[in-house]
Amino acid sequence: MLNRLVRWSRKKSPWILHLNSGACNACDIEIVAALTPRFDVERLGVLLKATPRHADVLVCTGPVTRQIKDRIIRIYEQVPDPKFVVAVGACAMSGCVYRGAYNVEGGIDQVIPVDAYVPGCPARPDAILDGVVKLLGKI
Amino acid sequence: MKDSEIIERIQGLLGGRVLAITNPSERRIFMTVAPRDLPDAARALRDGLGFAYLATISGVDMGPVFELLYHFANAHTCLSVRTEVPRSDPRVPSVTPVIPGAILYEREIQDMFGIVVEGLSDPRPLILPDDWPPENYPLRKDWKFTRPEERIPGGSS
Amino acid sequence: MKIQIPIGPQHPALKEPISLRMTVDGEVITDADLRLGYNHRGLEKLAEEKTWIQNIYLTERICGICSHSHATCFVQGVEKLMEIEAPKRGLYIRFLVAELERVHSHLLWLGVAGHEAGFDSFFMYTWRDREVVMDLLEMISGNRVHYAINTLGGVRRDVDDALKGKILGSLDLLRERSRYYLMIGANEPSFTGRLANVGYLSKKDAIDLCAVGPTARASGVAQDVRKDDPYGVYGEVPFEVCTADSCDVLGRTVVRVKELLQSYNIIEFLLRNLPPGPVAVRAPRKAKPGEVVSRYEAPRGENIHYIKSNGTDKPERLKVRAPTLANYAATIKMLKNGFIADIPLIFAAIDPCICCAERTVEVVDARSGEGRVLRFSDLRRAAAARQKNVSRKGDAEWPF
Repeated sequence: MLNRLVRWSRKKSPWILHLNSGACNACDIEIVAALTPRFDVERLGVLLKATPRHADVLVCTGPVTRQIKDRIIRIYEQVPDPKFVVAVGACAMSGCVYRGAYNVEGGIDQVIPVDAYVPGCPARPDAILDGVVKLLGKI
Repeated sequence: MKDSEIIERIQGLLGGRVLAITNPSERRIFMTVAPRDLPDAARALRDGLGFAYLATISGVDMGPVFELLYHFANAHTCLSVRTEVPRSDPRVPSVTPVIPGAILYEREIQDMFGIVVEGLSDPRPLILPDDWPPENYPLRKDWKFTRPEERIPGGSS
Repeated sequence: MKIQIPIGPQHPALKEPISLRMTVDGEVITDADLRLGYNHRGLEKLAEEKTWIQNIYLTERICGICSHSHATCFVQGVEKLMEIEAPKRGLYIRFLVAELERVHSHLLWLGVAGHEAGFDSFFMYTWRDREVVMDLLEMISGNRVHYAINTLGGVRRDVDDALKGKILGSLDLLRERSRYYLMIGANEPSFTGRLANVGYLSKKDAIDLCAVGPTARASGVAQDVRKDDPYGVYGEVPFEVCTADSCDVLGRTVVRVKELLQSYNIIEFLLRNLPPGPVAVRAPRKAKPGEVVSRYEAPRGENIHYIKSNGTDKPERLKVRAPTLANYAATIKMLKNGFIADIPLIFAAIDPCICCAERTVEVVDARSGEGRVLRFSDLRRAAAARQKNVSRKGDAEWPF
């Protein structure tokens, strides 16, 4: 009974942590624009949190640069289970234009396991919302 | 002030230290000096002509020499000072005593080309990661990078 | 008792990851240190392997907020190398999009400054107005960010009369809202009290440390590439350079709002005087050998590209210096002798191409070695609480 309550609340109100691993900021602004009155993601119960310990869903953008790789793994380990990772934007999926550069690993899935991919360069706020909702349907 | 007046005044201030000077288009002047004359030339340009603003320092690997360009600008024109540093002995004096804001740009060319800038107050690497192998200078033409094999999760690579 | 506080690289809202290490003595910052490189993607090396047209796509993605600035700066330089000139109508459309980008970037910054100062309603209001501008950009170019409207020799899409009418209609709404923000910025005492005398940068320091953009203009240095080195259409469009004399964050806010109002005038002038004709000319595949320095006034300051070509269809060298890099030395100067609670505001005031955020700050006591984690929202609340009790920042009573 308590399990059902916990699962219902996790689905209805995911708290997200936004992680930028070396992106050009376009996807990051679209994520913040999703909080503004036009797209308003807070009506779905989504809150943008400051610390990994409070988050359920990690929203990641950017191709992973070599310098930030270890920090991402450290942050991923700090997020309590069960956790989900959403890769937003073409850079987080496979590196976009930066594939082959000497300081870039490629997408986020080279470093941490990913549950949902949201394509676009940059991904529109409606597409990000759609991605998060589809992820919640899988839980 | 027109470009031709500025060129005359530069030649008056620096004389024989200017090895070449060209004006390929409006508001763009390119001049060449030897590396050891750089701080004096920067001081003369700042005090005599008002070029107190250094936009950036760019470098090109031309093979036997590295060509460094210092881009100065004032309210009338944009002046680029070129020096050539031999690849066998890449050292150049720092201009931070004259223009304090140049420190970040000089640290960057140290990282990217392996040129040693003498007299820097803070010679740490600027933008390469902590675990970068030393003696690897990315912007040299003979440095190539091969991408490691990509891992595709849940499938075959 | 000296404590070192590391800030970054993960900050939850926007931000290019960046690492700052502050040495503090009580609440005053005595030294600040910067660690760049988290966002270094090796673009300059990548650009040497792609053709000129592919490089437009690459330079656009250097930054998401000022993507058109980098693309235009690059295209301007290459057009000079190839010795082609874009037709008048193409230039007018190119700089129409450039001024719309300046408007959207300044509205974004105003929201971010409001959020850092604790004024979240302001954040929501300005970003709602920003959506009007994003819709216009989408109608012109097809995408909200990364417009891809530049090509070698002109622009790719045209503006018809219906779209012209829509843009002029939206301008009236935006003008009215921006005047309201100017009134708030100048008169609202809790807002001005939070921003005044924070992040002081004297005129001499701004010139010595080569600061650019509104950071320098708020210290009285009237430096604007659109006036000093007119490129594109700025030789014939009338506008003024906006400066302020207060050398602090309040001055920077005022400069940016004044620039907003100037941009509306420029957009109106460009639309009313749009000449007829083609929008692009054909460009050759290879560029003649040579070198060119291209400068552009991005919303954050001066953007400079140095392009060298060796006669093939790929560049020999592309060097990009974004304006935020030029402002870092000035930021470190501003952080010294500031308070810990002002760190987010000072850093956001240079308008980093990394916007504000909440970050976790770990305070490690140098003697005992124990750590506590503070959230930025705690720091912000502590700063706001302290502000309530003092009339002027300089007269603050030290709690220690």
